[in-house]
Amino acid sequence: MMKKTRAAAIAALGLGVALAASACAGGSSGSSGGGSSSGGNVTLTFWTNATPGPGLTFFQNAIKSFDAAHPGVTIKMQAIQNEDYDGKLQTALASNSAPDIFFQRGGGKMLAMVNANQVAPLTLTAADQANVSAAALAGETLNGKIYAIPMDQQPEGIYYSKDLFKQAGITSTPTTIPELEADVAKLKAINVAPIAVGAKDAWPAAHWYYNFALRECSQATMNAAGTTLKFTDPCWTKAGDDLAAFLKVNPFQPGFLTTAAQVGAGSSAGLVANHKAGMELMGAWDPGTIATLTANQKPLPDLGWFPFPAVPGGQGDPSAMMGGIDGYSLSQNAPKEAFEFLEFLLTTPQQKAYATAFITLPVNKAAQSVVTDSVSVSALQALNKAGYTMQFLDTQYGQNVGNALNAGVVNLMAGKGTPAGIVSAATEAAAKG
Amino acid sequence: MSHTLGTAALGRGRRGAPQVGDAADTASPTPRPRKRRGRGRLRLEIALLTGPAIIVFVGLVIFPVGLAAYYGFYKWQGYGPPTDWVGLGNYKIIFTDPAFQQALEHNGLIVVLSLVIQGPLAIGLALLLNQKIRGRALIRVLIFVPYVISEVIVGTGFSLMLQVTGAVNDALHNIGLGFLATDWLANPNIALWTLMGIITWKYIGFAVILMLAGLQSIPGELSEAARIDGASYWQVQRHITLPLLGPTIRIWAFLSIIGSLQLFDLVYIIWGQYISGTAGTSTMATYMALNGRLAGNYGYGSAVAVVMFLISLIVALCYQRFVLRRDLRGAVTQGVN
Repeated sequence: MMKKTRAAAIAALGLGVALAASACAGGSSGSSGGGSSSGGNVTLTFWTNATPGPGLTFFQNAIKSFDAAHPGVTIKMQAIQNEDYDGKLQTALASNSAPDIFFQRGGGKMLAMVNANQVAPLTLTAADQANVSAAALAGETLNGKIYAIPMDQQPEGIYYSKDLFKQAGITSTPTTIPELEADVAKLKAINVAPIAVGAKDAWPAAHWYYNFALRECSQATMNAAGTTLKFTDPCWTKAGDDLAAFLKVNPFQPGFLTTAAQVGAGSSAGLVANHKAGMELMGAWDPGTIATLTANQKPLPDLGWFPFPAVPGGQGDPSAMMGGIDGYSLSQNAPKEAFEFLEFLLTTPQQKAYATAFITLPVNKAAQSVVTDSVSVSALQALNKAGYTMQFLDTQYGQNVGNALNAGVVNLMAGKGTPAGIVSAATEAAAKG
Repeated sequence: MSHTLGTAALGRGRRGAPQVGDAADTASPTPRPRKRRGRGRLRLEIALLTGPAIIVFVGLVIFPVGLAAYYGFYKWQGYGPPTDWVGLGNYKIIFTDPAFQQALEHNGLIVVLSLVIQGPLAIGLALLLNQKIRGRALIRVLIFVPYVISEVIVGTGFSLMLQVTGAVNDALHNIGLGFLATDWLANPNIALWTLMGIITWKYIGFAVILMLAGLQSIPGELSEAARIDGASYWQVQRHITLPLLGPTIRIWAFLSIIGSLQLFDLVYIIWGQYISGTAGTSTMATYMALNGRLAGNYGYGSAVAVVMFLISLIVALCYQRFVLRRDLRGAVTQGVN
């Protein structure tokens, strides 16, 4: 009896040791990915957040043609679910298993990587420079050095239903906030929600504040806040006052605080897709999101676009645009072939394929001819005319300050906060990071 | 999820402690006759048998707690090793942050309301279900079903039903109670009560099962004797059932308090990552997720985790010292004798 127990115990312990050993082995084999040797046979690791579908297919094709043109180079792609991406990347960068090429969100996250020496500065040739718009490149530059290659630009504006505008008797899209307020009243008269906003996710609500800030604050003020994280300029509070005044006309759908942005027919994109709401302020990915939420899963035929209206008396350029940039970075020890792959992605044929696959606006001007649908064309025209572009503030100032801004805006919308509260929340959050 | 995990782990821990003592006590006299070989072998056996468990416990519980305490002294974004030592700076910010104070207040309310609402309700239901009534098994199952459903499903379901244009308000309108329809989730005056309703619905089954088990262990002779002495039904419940149910109630209350302090998943699913503070349903755990992980402030988040750990630990120790002591004392003295 005793012997049997002991044998079992030893067996159990043995099993435990074996499991632990195999777990360690698994860890170490994973870390041998990032080889720093160049010349001869090179294997590059490549991480993206693209989801299965046209986006992932684009990268598979790009890798295939790059590998074919560069004998001895093999790129191993790993697609990681968007919400898991940051945590996995952070862990990989901290250990020795960092991917050579990886999707870069930019802004505060990129700054943290630069400060920790985890991302390599890039030197672009004249040919590369010609393939990418200077405005997009400026968004990936820190202290005069470029740390990521931008792939596309996702400018933000207001998407609207042309049919509902016609029904409400709106003849031209609003160019100033007072005009927008007048249109809100007209849409209410035909019993639809004038503007949909997914405040449950906080950032869609905060984008209203971001855009008011873009109109109220000068470019220099907004850039300076990126390094100091101080929001002392009165324009920050003024932007909040503008939003508070705009809220007085009750422009948003009932129950907006618990409405999600992109998931399901009840989301803000779903409300636009089903003609329950007239407008939505969103980035350039919105037509794609709305298309998945229409009754027939096809793009909304009467979807239109106009830039965020001007705010009378603001310090910002009325043509300035807010937007997102998707880019790719190299880790500190990436071999030179990794950079060649990024250069390859900037070439006109690749940029055309990229823009088609992701339904977005390419950074290479020569590739912009593939943008043909009227909604994206009007966004692209506004982007090419923009005095300057600014990244979404929660990217620009880092997620920490961004979250506080977002929460402050949601509080204001819920009637629990003040415009000054948004500014003080951002300042307090800066102390936590 | 956190509730289930917490209860399971704690349940094991509570019962585990005296058992280890028992084993040592009963085991030590046995090897005495064969002195020399016995001691060493016994030690080896203990090491072999407890080794894996200790390794797992130290590696997955003690080590992370220590690491969180370490990171809590730094401002750290999670990129590269932490270098920006701030001492107790993070803790100062936590305790002066109105958002954390509100979260703590909500946790306190949830602890108290859970006890006050679920306790009497569970005892009442258990007494009812302990009777021989028709369909008893079915009712027991129905009451226990919500506890089995995953928190994510419960949260998603309720968040859809309780939307302004959701099923609940539609139903109220259709039965002529439209004046009761409201914004159940976003109105800060109502949201916490909505949450309490959902929590009660979700966890009452667990309390009822515990109470039922407690009732089953009360010998029927006692109430029979009381009946013969002329006690009414309510007198029997008041003077015999309730006192004998005491240990069960106290253990349930302990599990409920710890679960309430660590409440996370329901709030996170229903109110999302960001707006629980605005709706007035934020808890310490959602505050930690928002200001630590989502904001990328891993140093600050670790400090919040340490604060949560200490609050839970202090509450647990005080509860054991002042409330559970008599239950434990009985168990321990029995073991020694």
